[in-house]
Amino acid sequence: MIAALLAAALLAAPAAGGVVTPEGLRARYGGIRRLEAEVVQVKEGKHWARPFESRVKLRYTPGRVEWETVAPVQALAVIEGDALYLVGPDGKRRDLGPMAGDPRLEAILRFVRALLSVDLPGIERDFALTYGPGELTATPRPGSQLELFTAVRLRFGADLSIAAVDLETRDEKTHLRFERVEQDPAPAARP
Amino acid sequence: MKRTLLALASMAALALALRGIRLEEDPVHSLAHPDPIRAQVFDRYQAQGLFRDLIFVEAQDLPAADAQALAAGLGEAGYAEAPLFDRPSPETVLRLSPLLPRAEVERLMGEEALGRRAREAASVAMLPGGDAVLEELERDPLGLGPALLVRMAGAPQGGGPAVRAYRSPRPMIYDRVGRLYDLLVRLGPRVHFIGGDFFALENYRAAHHDILVCTVMSLVLNLLLFHLFTGRRVLLGLLLLGSAASYLCGLVAIRAFFGEVFAVVLAYTSTFVGFNTESLVYLSGIDPRRKREAILGVGSALGTTLIGFLLLLAGRTVMIREMAVASLAGLLGFLGFLALYPRLLASVSFRTFRWPGVALSGRWLAALSLAACGVVALAGVPGVATHVDAFRFQTPVLDEQVAHFSSRLDALSLEDVVAIPARGSAEEALAALAAQGLVDPARHPLARLPPRAEQEATLRALSGYGQAVARLAALLEEEGIRIAPAPQLPPGIAPLDGWRYLELLGSLGPLRWTDEVGGQRWLMAGLEPGRAGRDLGAAVAVSPRHHYDALLTTLSRELGLLFLAGLVAMAAFLAVVQRRAVRVLYVFAPLFLAAAAFAVWARLTGSSIHIVHLMGFSLVIAIGTDYTAVTVSGGHGPVERSKVLVAGLSALATFGSLLLARHPVLRELGATVAAGCAISMAFALLVPLRQGAGEGR
Repeated sequence: MIAALLAAALLAAPAAGGVVTPEGLRARYGGIRRLEAEVVQVKEGKHWARPFESRVKLRYTPGRVEWETVAPVQALAVIEGDALYLVGPDGKRRDLGPMAGDPRLEAILRFVRALLSVDLPGIERDFALTYGPGELTATPRPGSQLELFTAVRLRFGADLSIAAVDLETRDEKTHLRFERVEQDPAPAARP
Repeated sequence: MKRTLLALASMAALALALRGIRLEEDPVHSLAHPDPIRAQVFDRYQAQGLFRDLIFVEAQDLPAADAQALAAGLGEAGYAEAPLFDRPSPETVLRLSPLLPRAEVERLMGEEALGRRAREAASVAMLPGGDAVLEELERDPLGLGPALLVRMAGAPQGGGPAVRAYRSPRPMIYDRVGRLYDLLVRLGPRVHFIGGDFFALENYRAAHHDILVCTVMSLVLNLLLFHLFTGRRVLLGLLLLGSAASYLCGLVAIRAFFGEVFAVVLAYTSTFVGFNTESLVYLSGIDPRRKREAILGVGSALGTTLIGFLLLLAGRTVMIREMAVASLAGLLGFLGFLALYPRLLASVSFRTFRWPGVALSGRWLAALSLAACGVVALAGVPGVATHVDAFRFQTPVLDEQVAHFSSRLDALSLEDVVAIPARGSAEEALAALAAQGLVDPARHPLARLPPRAEQEATLRALSGYGQAVARLAALLEEEGIRIAPAPQLPPGIAPLDGWRYLELLGSLGPLRWTDEVGGQRWLMAGLEPGRAGRDLGAAVAVSPRHHYDALLTTLSRELGLLFLAGLVAMAAFLAVVQRRAVRVLYVFAPLFLAAAAFAVWARLTGSSIHIVHLMGFSLVIAIGTDYTAVTVSGGHGPVERSKVLVAGLSALATFGSLLLARHPVLRELGATVAAGCAISMAFALLVPLRQGAGEGR
């Protein structure tokens, strides 16, 4: 299973993706009003009994991110501003209590929001960025609230469409593979 | 030429010796309580305190663009958000668990709560970075910590402005923090902010302005004066170069004795050129035929100046001692520099002027001095009190922020916290304070300590802890998630007494509620509004404003006593040097007049004497008495009077320049010394001692 997942991840990676530059990413993702994607997520690590694959629908608008797990279980997490809450099967909002105000959690949420919309200034707030062929590597700045991440790597297609994100913490590896990405304004419509 | 090269080489060596000197912006950091126990109680409270390496920002209804600008500004200045409360260790949470009501513990361990907790944890764990939530779950599987937080701090209130804490960057880059500060000011009144960094920044900006403005003004005015009275450009070079030498000597002495220099002391060193002008004037143009009188005058002047500086050296404020050390070293450095040019000094001549005066006999002098003392007695000796606001630079912007957060802290009964030495239980110590009407026990954390019986009931409910944890782990396992929390409560969890409870509470948040210092147990409590300033005996004010007000007032009284001791030392010195009582009285007479003027001014304006006045008084007796000492030693000859005119105008120019300073310490110092020196100069020039009066005893 692990070998199959790794193979899938490798196959999903862009073959010698395009040149990734800050200017290129800003041109493609700056001023984005909406981004929707289907994502396959694989998590493995200390807390997962086995590599855990889930299918996710991601909906991003500035100020709000919906992370809806559709399989193998149904769950909807919403990041709004600096707050995270869950929406139950009954459609009711469930706050996370005092944990919601924890600056560490808020930093993670800010990062997730910036990461999913390739918001470079937002990512650079806590990370130093290195650009390479087809990918962008983010390393936490010393003293950042996000030092729990040991490595973050974004991979892009030849047209700079986001293809995959790898996140590593001390105890967990997360691989996100992006499928059917839609964004508004669409890349072609951009000046 | 060789001598000048030698001087320049020595100055270069001194400049090299200055490498590594540190600059301290906030003069409040120069204050430490002389009583080591009290100092330790305060320092330990502050070490954990709200303002230690943190700033606080409170924003309400901020438009999105402003909120983004604020976040960016904080990031660019190097501030990282920090939790207001430290994350407690799992063990601390469990030790505090008896504080929870039994029903709450039973609810948290119930099947419904466990199922919901497992579902929520699994949902959040699926987010990128979600394993942080699982780590948290492992540390506190049942959520006792958040429940305790609600119990201790109350349920989160919606709608009100939230205060966020940010960890300060170290080292602080003032330009970056300055940009953030300006942004915060622009965003007001929707944004309020406070933190030691902003005080340091304002003092940094003020000190840099003062160093530049006061140094340039003082130097230009003194050079003009000197040129006007001597007409020789070479002497201007001597004054300029000598002042640079004295400045370097002063700073090297600070480097040697203290390691760091306060910015306000750097600004104060702009006055060196005034002291140097005085020394140069007295030591130059000495008529060989009247050498004895000249040496008497110079000896008296330099002796009283040295005594004045030594007086400040005995002060217990580091900043004042730095000023004294710098002044002494600067004076000695300048005298050493002048020693290289004896012929040049001897060749100087001063323009002389004639003006009418009112000669006083010894009896009239005594009567005038007595009358001045009578005025002081009638007006009353002003009280001694110093507030920290007079000791450091603070703009109305920061005053407004302090008032805003003080009212917030006051609402929490934290604005004026004192540490009380306690015997017996914490509850007894608090009850004693409440009986005096000093604290409201309902607003003290002890009010939230449940009775022992209730704690025991909660602990009985917690006997099912291990079972509940195992159930939660099983529920998560069904979701494919593994956690490995401690399976059982650690041994030794017991009902808390008051002291243990306050200790644990202090280990969680930014406030310390009890401490052990000097073999003594201390209880911290917030005083009720309106109780500030009341003498609480052995209590120690640990809130910075109240602590520093009390400390500065104590230090002011000590400096006042030192000042009086200095006057006695100066009188004894002059008695030996001048050998005539009437001459000594003449030297001191302007001080009596200045004291009378100050007492009347204080009475009319309702002012009290504060620590900067006392520093100023010490400088007035160091400089102002020189004028009468020189004129009376020289028999009020035209050259001596001319020298006093130059020296006096130089002092007025130097200390008058300080009136342009932003820093209140420098402004007050300038006003006090300029006023004192003006009176002394006018007296020395217009009221000579009648011929022959100084010859008898």
